[in-house]
Amino acid sequence: MSVAESLPNSATIGVPQPLVDGPEKVTGRAKFSADFQAADQCLGRVLRSPHAHARILSIDTSAAEAMAGVDAVVTGADVAASYGVLPIAMNEYAIARDRVRYRGEPVAAVAACDAQTAEAALRAIRVEYEVLPAQFHAADSLRDGAAVLHEEKPDNVERRVDFELGDVDAGFAEADLVLEREFFNAEVCQVQMEPHATFAEWDGEREELTVHTCTQVPFYVHLMLARTLEMEKSRIRVVKPHIGGGFGCRTETLNVELIAALLARKAGGTVRLISNREETFITHRGRPETTTKLKMGLAKDGRITAVVCETLQRGGAYSGYGIVTILYAGSLLYGLYTLPAVRYLGQRVLTNTPPCGAFRGHGTVNTRFAFESLLDELAAGLDLDPFAVRRANLLTAPTMTENDLLVNSYGLDECLDWAERASGWRERKGTLGPGRGLGMACSHYVSGASKPKHWTGEPHATVNLKLDFDGSITLLTGAAEIGQGSSTVLAQCAAETLGVDMSRIRVVASDSRLTPKDNGSYSSRVTYMVGNAAIDAAENLKAVLIEAAARKLEATPEEIECLGESFRRGSQDQGLSFEQATAAALEGTGTLTVKGVFETRPESWGGKKYRGAAIGGTMAFSYAAQVVEVAVDADTGEIEVVKVWVAHDCGRALNPLAVEGQVQGSVWMGLGQAMTEETRFHDGLPITANMLDYRVPTILDSPPIEVGIVEARDPYGPFGAKEAGEGSLSGFLPALTAAVADALGVRADALPLTPERLLELLEDAPKRRRH
Amino acid sequence: MEYLPEFTLHRPTTIEDALAHADEGGRYLAGGTDLLVNTRRGIERPGAMVDLALVGELGGIEDTDKGGLRLGAGVRLEDIAGDARLGARYPAVAEAAAAVAGPTHRRAGTLGGNLCLDTRCLYYNQSEWWRSSNDFCLKHQGTVCHVAPKGSRCFAAYSGDVAPALLVSGAEVEIAGAEGRRRAPLGELWRDDGLDHLTLASGDLVVAVHLPAPIADLASGYEKARVRGSIDFPLAGVALSLALDDGVIHHLALALTGVNPSPRLVTGTEALIGNRLDDEAILALRDLARTQARPMRTTTIKPWYRRRVVGALTTRLARRLGA
Repeated sequence: MSVAESLPNSATIGVPQPLVDGPEKVTGRAKFSADFQAADQCLGRVLRSPHAHARILSIDTSAAEAMAGVDAVVTGADVAASYGVLPIAMNEYAIARDRVRYRGEPVAAVAACDAQTAEAALRAIRVEYEVLPAQFHAADSLRDGAAVLHEEKPDNVERRVDFELGDVDAGFAEADLVLEREFFNAEVCQVQMEPHATFAEWDGEREELTVHTCTQVPFYVHLMLARTLEMEKSRIRVVKPHIGGGFGCRTETLNVELIAALLARKAGGTVRLISNREETFITHRGRPETTTKLKMGLAKDGRITAVVCETLQRGGAYSGYGIVTILYAGSLLYGLYTLPAVRYLGQRVLTNTPPCGAFRGHGTVNTRFAFESLLDELAAGLDLDPFAVRRANLLTAPTMTENDLLVNSYGLDECLDWAERASGWRERKGTLGPGRGLGMACSHYVSGASKPKHWTGEPHATVNLKLDFDGSITLLTGAAEIGQGSSTVLAQCAAETLGVDMSRIRVVASDSRLTPKDNGSYSSRVTYMVGNAAIDAAENLKAVLIEAAARKLEATPEEIECLGESFRRGSQDQGLSFEQATAAALEGTGTLTVKGVFETRPESWGGKKYRGAAIGGTMAFSYAAQVVEVAVDADTGEIEVVKVWVAHDCGRALNPLAVEGQVQGSVWMGLGQAMTEETRFHDGLPITANMLDYRVPTILDSPPIEVGIVEARDPYGPFGAKEAGEGSLSGFLPALTAAVADALGVRADALPLTPERLLELLEDAPKRRRH
Repeated sequence: MEYLPEFTLHRPTTIEDALAHADEGGRYLAGGTDLLVNTRRGIERPGAMVDLALVGELGGIEDTDKGGLRLGAGVRLEDIAGDARLGARYPAVAEAAAAVAGPTHRRAGTLGGNLCLDTRCLYYNQSEWWRSSNDFCLKHQGTVCHVAPKGSRCFAAYSGDVAPALLVSGAEVEIAGAEGRRRAPLGELWRDDGLDHLTLASGDLVVAVHLPAPIADLASGYEKARVRGSIDFPLAGVALSLALDDGVIHHLALALTGVNPSPRLVTGTEALIGNRLDDEAILALRDLARTQARPMRTTTIKPWYRRRVVGALTTRLARRLGA
């Protein structure tokens, strides 16, 4: 047996790896956007609209500008153009021009020498408003005579999606039980640990701008800075330092990032703009308040025969990601089960509330809550076991769904087996005694959107590897490490491919002056797409090293055995160390930079059967099944989640430690949405924009979450990997309500299921149609 | 977080010095978990604060010669929660202290600060921008109560956890002021007005709380309704002390927090003395609690639920202590 064969097959992949940026974070050395300081910096503060909907008649900033210590005041007049994450829906301005459409929308901003001066300057700005009627819920915006938010959308509908695939009426005719219910999900916010912060430096001599900001999408921020400030992209540098979470609220450019830059340019210096928690809530981009009317037919053998889904989303005052959200909510009905017939009507409605965005599990969560809840009730109605019903509707990979989504790998069956076994479902269901119950549900998510939002003709992902005289490899990537472990997984992919120790690889991420462009960290695209690009780059570098070793050892490349840290010609050869091979490779050429890219396959681009059908197209789906156990106090309505068992199919688990953390985090965020979290408004004023009234679960509310990793390897994933960070979220919501139904006999169709809502439900139970 | 405005900080070591600084307009700072948050929000604008942390006389939990306990107002909530004597003789007090907010708040927060906690309301505990966008409110800078717009009263809820537990334990409060020291039943510290819920005169300082020797077979406890297991203020809090003689009630005291502008002893419980603690008695107790709780729309959770849960907690406590 050769030495190579005796080496472990995989040194870094599939092995639990601590995150490469862990030491900085746990020691406090990591610099976040708010940690940047300059001796001559100004502090930025934003003046926000007190009105939900009003015309701005005039803004007088003269008194503020005249104040000592005030370096700049900006208003909508300083903003060159609108912005937005979707090229087809850029209807927002960094600072409102002419009109405000939600309470808290920026109307002006100041940069001053200190916080007191900045506050005083804000108070000195005089704004004259003409107040207009406002709507705070989708249904109100749809009423006849409702105030119009944007003239180009006279019915206040951002996007209406309407499709029917398969014969729905025949499906219902074939069903043995058909039920129709209406479900409600309150709006929720990400509440990442770090409030928004941007550090913007204007170089007046060179007319260049450098921005350090807490974004998931440095590239989009770069584009929107150029657009808003009317600057050449080449004169802008965007750096994403360490970041305290994002979960989707930072997958589009935020107005505060643009405002910091506008202030810096006008002040001719450096501006530090830190949003407080209330402002971070107002900047929002969370998951919309949603009503889902769902009708489903089930046959006695457990087959789903037809589905009609009507979704109404309160989008907020501007488009943001709205069109994608309402499309996802329909298209990702598919991809989990066999669905012969589906009719979907989705409406994304403009309202005078802060704009929603792309919250973890984007578009799928509220739909999945409704779908799994109704499936559970249908199963009960036909006396079928919830697991058996799911098994009766499994897909067989590889396949294309009815709406042309590619499913190349599918581990849902294994997920079901694991969750059923680990939770003791068969033995324990129905035996837990009063006030206790078990519930289950399934879910899925995409591994990146196959069609980019900004079509440039470029590959989806590009990674550079730089090899220099010292034998170190620098991995340059635009992928935004946001705590999810992207830098770690890219180092793993490169190290594994090259066969070198991970410590030889240093990752430099998200600095537009150094790193190749990347679309950013959203829709769980990084591991799949950028991971593949890292593998491609590493393969290219490996080929260069082998060729150099061959030259040095007077062999052909085919004769060279690459052991990662050494290269040799046959087992008796002394060979070359990595440093020697590096030196050989640099001879005559100098420092090496190689590139790797990834492109999606056209068959994954989604369909064309209806307008927007491409949204949902992905190279691979992750799958999850989970069981939730609850103990409920029927006197107080308190629900204790005793335990969660969750199986997640992420294809090959590149870093099982990170996968487990991501799955637990997903379930936990689902728990928050299901049980306690809710953004609420008083006449459009966000009444829960603080950490006391917006109730993120505390550690005392967090149950043990046992994770089973299922590995249905994807043929095109990096080492067979798929998505791990989102797919387990949505299943928690319906699994919880199913568990409560098992415990108490009442089904909650409105979330969050606070003690108040549960007690309401229990007291109304005799009057309700069910149970 | 909004920026903390500038103020002068005094750090006296004696009660006399503290009173003198307060007399000049300083606000007492007894932990600051509430006052500093309110100052950042512009609800409080003190020119000076009088930090009580170094005043030695405010510290300590001491046995009194009559078998009772003296709790210094500066004792940290964490120390009250962990005190073995309190745990044995007045478990309600220890349980209530342990139920306050989260561990870091209990480490900073003090008994006196908790007793003098400002009343709370969704329309009041908001930022300056928020309150000004909502025309302020009756409690601060405004003229309308958004909870009861037609009324002229403030319904902000008293939300301290420890007060009801002390009330059912027969506590007295010791106060230092311009007129010297005085002692009064603890219940006299508050009045039923969310706008001005403390009866303290300007400059008065809560120095200590005195607990009498517990009667024989006294059991007590505290139950708190909240959405989360930590951090939250009580949506409703119930303290009960109870002594049974062969199943017959011979002492009973019930107090509520979080559901009125002041903590209060529930009246009418004496009618149950001499009865057995059976389902009927517990039901009667529950109804007393429910009718005397007057929660208003001061939290995101409906008053309906809070009144209902006051009853559920009372029942739970009575069963627990009577078992």
